[in-house]
Amino acid sequence: MEESSITFKATANGLILIMKEEEDFETVFEQISKKLSAAGKFFKGASLDVKYRGKVLSEEEERLILELMEKKTGAKVKSLQLDTTEPEQVETEHTNSMSSTYKVKNFFFKGINEGITKFYRGTVRSGQLISFDGNVVIIGDVNPGGEIEATGNVIVMGSLRGIVHAGADGNKEAIVAALNLQPTQLRIADIITRSPDEEETRSELIPELAYVKDDIVYIERFLPQYK
Amino acid sequence: MSEVIVITSGKGGVGKTTTTANIGTGLALMGKKVVLVDTDIGLRNLDVVLGLENRIVYDLVDVVEGFCRVKQALIKDKRYDGLFLLPAAQTREKTAVNPKQMIRLCNELREEFDYIIIDCPAGIEQGFKNAIAGADKAIVITTPEVSAVRDADRIIGLLESSELRNPKLVINRVRMDMVKRGDMMSIDDIIDILAIDLIGVVPDDEKIIVSTNRGEPAVTDNKSLAGQAYRNITRRVLGEQVPIMDLQSEEGFVFKLKKLFGIKSS
Repeated sequence: MEESSITFKATANGLILIMKEEEDFETVFEQISKKLSAAGKFFKGASLDVKYRGKVLSEEEERLILELMEKKTGAKVKSLQLDTTEPEQVETEHTNSMSSTYKVKNFFFKGINEGITKFYRGTVRSGQLISFDGNVVIIGDVNPGGEIEATGNVIVMGSLRGIVHAGADGNKEAIVAALNLQPTQLRIADIITRSPDEEETRSELIPELAYVKDDIVYIERFLPQYK
Repeated sequence: MSEVIVITSGKGGVGKTTTTANIGTGLALMGKKVVLVDTDIGLRNLDVVLGLENRIVYDLVDVVEGFCRVKQALIKDKRYDGLFLLPAAQTREKTAVNPKQMIRLCNELREEFDYIIIDCPAGIEQGFKNAIAGADKAIVITTPEVSAVRDADRIIGLLESSELRNPKLVINRVRMDMVKRGDMMSIDDIIDILAIDLIGVVPDDEKIIVSTNRGEPAVTDNKSLAGQAYRNITRRVLGEQVPIMDLQSEEGFVFKLKKLFGIKSS
């Protein structure tokens, strides 16, 4: 049997018609007719935007196909036009660029406001390293000697006493928040700060947030102060 | 002429790290340029004892893997100008470093420092082999316990087979009152078994725990008896002849009175 020279692809609000460039219009037209007949009443009552690719059609040819589609499917075809948007990037190339984020300086993890997140439940103890290409949420404490490294934000639902590095691939927009923020060392992007040498032990938990502004790390409460 | 000295014991918890910190600080107090190298990868402590934990960015493993230069990893002590620390990695294992790399590192440090003091991990495995690889001299720490002395004996044997002859002995946590009652091995008993030169006896002192927790080595505390013992050890490391402190005669009322008023015991 002859291989089909047309393909239909569904999009969010319509269809894409992909045709083989070398095929003449009569063959294409015939095959569309067949395909639509096979689809039966599936599109009945729907209204479609149709785009086409692979073959440039004349106005007359466009009109013929549009009429054919309306007749065969019973759907309202709102438009029929050449699809000019670039085809999507191939998936493998995409992941490649993600893994090389550490090498390419100007490309860092952008999911600060919403993005891929790792949740870790339990205490991160001395010598343990939680490293993730994205945001990290620790449901527990991070003890001195424990280390969190994330290309995005770091949130600790407990006491943060270890080393934390947010925006590890260079994103200064990244933040660190904890219910008790007393890290040995806090890094955001390439900015490093450390705790003061005079140890201040506080009994109550003060939820605090660390962020970078003008290359300086600021720490502030993220809940209104209550007394 | 710089010296590489490894501080080792075999058994854990006898005071290797405390001794390293105190001898190192003591040498720096005497105006020497000193670097302390923590080889206890995965269980680092020396940085905590020195109160420098929050300054660590690069570590020993980063250096040997060529991830940074030695100078970038060295942490300058907050109190003494001549004292530096090369911290161990905490999230790695002993196998991240090999003896060859340690020899190369020690030789690089020799160019900068008068004394390179290496804090050895407990045990006789890879970490121990790394620690002793680049050393010229060894100091063995023990406590007056049968198990610690047994391990020290094993270590001395291993050091000798690694061409580290004539290690020196530090006996730590001696309690003279217990020795008198016959409840603790005496210094002579220990030297009898180990048959190496004694370089110091450190009395059991509560202040050691306080100073360790504060990150301030006891050697800087003039009132501390253990601090005095470490000052004496430091001078012996420098080659001076200093008599071993007579702990026995210092027991009793006069000593306690002296201690109360903070008079330095000689």
